[in-house]
Amino acid sequence: MTTSDREQWLERLYRQSLQDEAAFLQNIARRLGRAEPLAEPPRHPFRGAPDFWREHSLSAEDNIALFMANWTGAGGHAIRLPELRAAGQYVADLARERGARSLVCQNEPELLLWRLDEALPDHDVLVWAADRPGRLEAAAKADIGVVMAEYAAAHTGSIVVTSSPDKGRSVSLLPDVLVAVVPVERLHTKMGDFLGRFAEMARERMPAGIHFISGPSRSADIENDLTIGVHGPGVVHALLVG
Amino acid sequence: MSGTVRRSAGGSGVVRGSVKERARIALKDDFLRGAVRYTTEKLRGGRKAAALEQGRWEEWRERGRSIRLHTIAHLDYYLKQFADNARTGGAHVHFAASGADAVRITLDIARSAGARTVVKSKSMLSEEVHINEALEAAGIESVETDLGEYIIQLAGEAPSHIIIPAIHKNRAQIAELLSKEAGAQLPPDTKALAGFARRRLREKFLSADIGMTGCNFAVAETGSIVVFENEGNARMVSTVPRIHIALMGMERIVPTWEDLEVMATLLPRSATGQKLTVYMSGITGPRRDGDGDGPEEMHVIIVDNGRSLQLGDPEFQDLLHCIRCGACLNACPVYRHIGGHAYGSTYSGPIGAVLTPALNRNVAEWDDIANASSLCGACWEACPVKIPLHDMLVYLRRKKVERGRKNTWEAAAMKGFRVVMSNRKRLEAALALARIGQIPLVRDGAIRAKIGPLKGWTAYRHAPSLAARPFRASWEELRRGLAQTAAPKKAEALQKLERFARSRQPEGRDSQ
Repeated sequence: MTTSDREQWLERLYRQSLQDEAAFLQNIARRLGRAEPLAEPPRHPFRGAPDFWREHSLSAEDNIALFMANWTGAGGHAIRLPELRAAGQYVADLARERGARSLVCQNEPELLLWRLDEALPDHDVLVWAADRPGRLEAAAKADIGVVMAEYAAAHTGSIVVTSSPDKGRSVSLLPDVLVAVVPVERLHTKMGDFLGRFAEMARERMPAGIHFISGPSRSADIENDLTIGVHGPGVVHALLVG
Repeated sequence: MSGTVRRSAGGSGVVRGSVKERARIALKDDFLRGAVRYTTEKLRGGRKAAALEQGRWEEWRERGRSIRLHTIAHLDYYLKQFADNARTGGAHVHFAASGADAVRITLDIARSAGARTVVKSKSMLSEEVHINEALEAAGIESVETDLGEYIIQLAGEAPSHIIIPAIHKNRAQIAELLSKEAGAQLPPDTKALAGFARRRLREKFLSADIGMTGCNFAVAETGSIVVFENEGNARMVSTVPRIHIALMGMERIVPTWEDLEVMATLLPRSATGQKLTVYMSGITGPRRDGDGDGPEEMHVIIVDNGRSLQLGDPEFQDLLHCIRCGACLNACPVYRHIGGHAYGSTYSGPIGAVLTPALNRNVAEWDDIANASSLCGACWEACPVKIPLHDMLVYLRRKKVERGRKNTWEAAAMKGFRVVMSNRKRLEAALALARIGQIPLVRDGAIRAKIGPLKGWTAYRHAPSLAARPFRASWEELRRGLAQTAAPKKAEALQKLERFARSRQPEGRDSQ
């Protein structure tokens, strides 16, 4: 199918979808005892977490301690570092220690400041570029992926990464080792503290991928025996900076 | 095409026959029984610990139930809001009234893209509509990538647990299956087996044309789908291939991201006892302009397939509140003994016993499963959104009788019971007779003889013999004793009962 054929086909599919949708929603409305599908937003009295939970908030230090306990509890490594430069040093040491050959970093100013390519002259240091051919294969071959966390939640020990032209979804997924830099000011007590912000983003600017990551990839599918790193990174480091 | 073995002929690998026959097979399988007991115990313990750790669990359950109730009661509004926003985000949205429609749309997309390989992450809905078989029949390779699903796909079987699909397979069997796939002998070692699966499936992710996922929740306010998983394979299939298809049950909606926090609190804790699954991904449309990865095209197929039949039915509408955590399976004394395959359908355990006949509208075919329950209510207690599954099992039994599918013996016995019980003299005479009649049958205070109408009961357990002095003969004495001590507690007990009854009343079902 050529591109224009496919466009036409998608257009047909779209018109079909609108037709199906009308019948589908009409059926639901009828079953719910309405003549027509509801057009006005209903009052939603139970939106979100219970009130006691909304008020739940820990101090910055307690958030850090709880995040680190949860992250290590899930099988990850967590370390607190005074400043960004120390985090760069940590990554360089980690690469040497593990005998890594290649790293892939998101194209973020904080990470570029480290000049990892100079610190690790014998390693391939790739910066994510949306137009580089073979970038997925390169990320899949990389030993270490380095990302900045957009948010983090202490209560569940989770970091959140989002996608953009400078931030590949593959970087936090395909390498064997994931290193996430978490500036402490981005760490919250619970996900409810920032979830609402995803709704406020303009739809067209909403990232295609919003990923909560709470430890190394795991499976218990073979006789309940815990396997680490079954598809995603099996080694995960969270570097809390600040 | 690779040598991937697929589901056995006849569809889903589901065993036919009665639940009794399937249970008999399961009960003879010592490994299965041990594995099911161990796994369900572990998951159940994990859930209890996680609920305790979270704190105020009953309030979370109540909030979860309220959000689900509100959403389903206004599903027409939220589904439209979701579809509109998903389209704004660049996704193609499709509506499938039946499983066959969902399959047709999937095949259309695959054919138009000239797809040769589809990689899939775990989706109970795709099991429900038998997508693998359809893709295979169309000459398209379909590869399950969740480790457990991969194993049972190679074995040509159906999942036996909603969370741990290959619960019934032991390491040696898994080694054999994977060795055949590898073309070399693999040791029965978890690390080696998982390592092989990782390498093999990596190749598949990178070469597949289409990735298929399920959808745990769909956020109406932004048109995003949300997928919970631990392995990273759902991220793979929604990131690497050129086209992403998400299969979504029409009831998966939550109105807002804030509501998602409640579901994210309830689901992983109830399923595995985790605070959150390793990955929780919110996906909104295909890659944005300029993005370097993510699918170029994203399709969301919203599936009814019998779900809308529950809407407006006061007895079964709550079924659509289910968040597919599997907690009821782990709590169920029946499931814990016979495992998932004995249920004979895609969904097993208490939720399966109710959902299967509800979705298929054929109470007749599945009625034996509603009877394979002790109605103990453990499922309801475990359910994070408080679905009264044990009540629904009773409704199913009632429906079955209303449709004239009754047991002649049982009907005759009930008739006799009514005749005897409606008259005190008759009851006393009958019991006096029975006390004499039972003498040749009683051994050590129990009746074990498997004869006549007794057989239905005594085939599986002993019937206690009638007491020499019936309870009613002692009642006057007991009542006098109780009257002296229990009077003040009565009001309290009544209040407690009323509170309980109120808590079970669905609130706001028709409110807008």
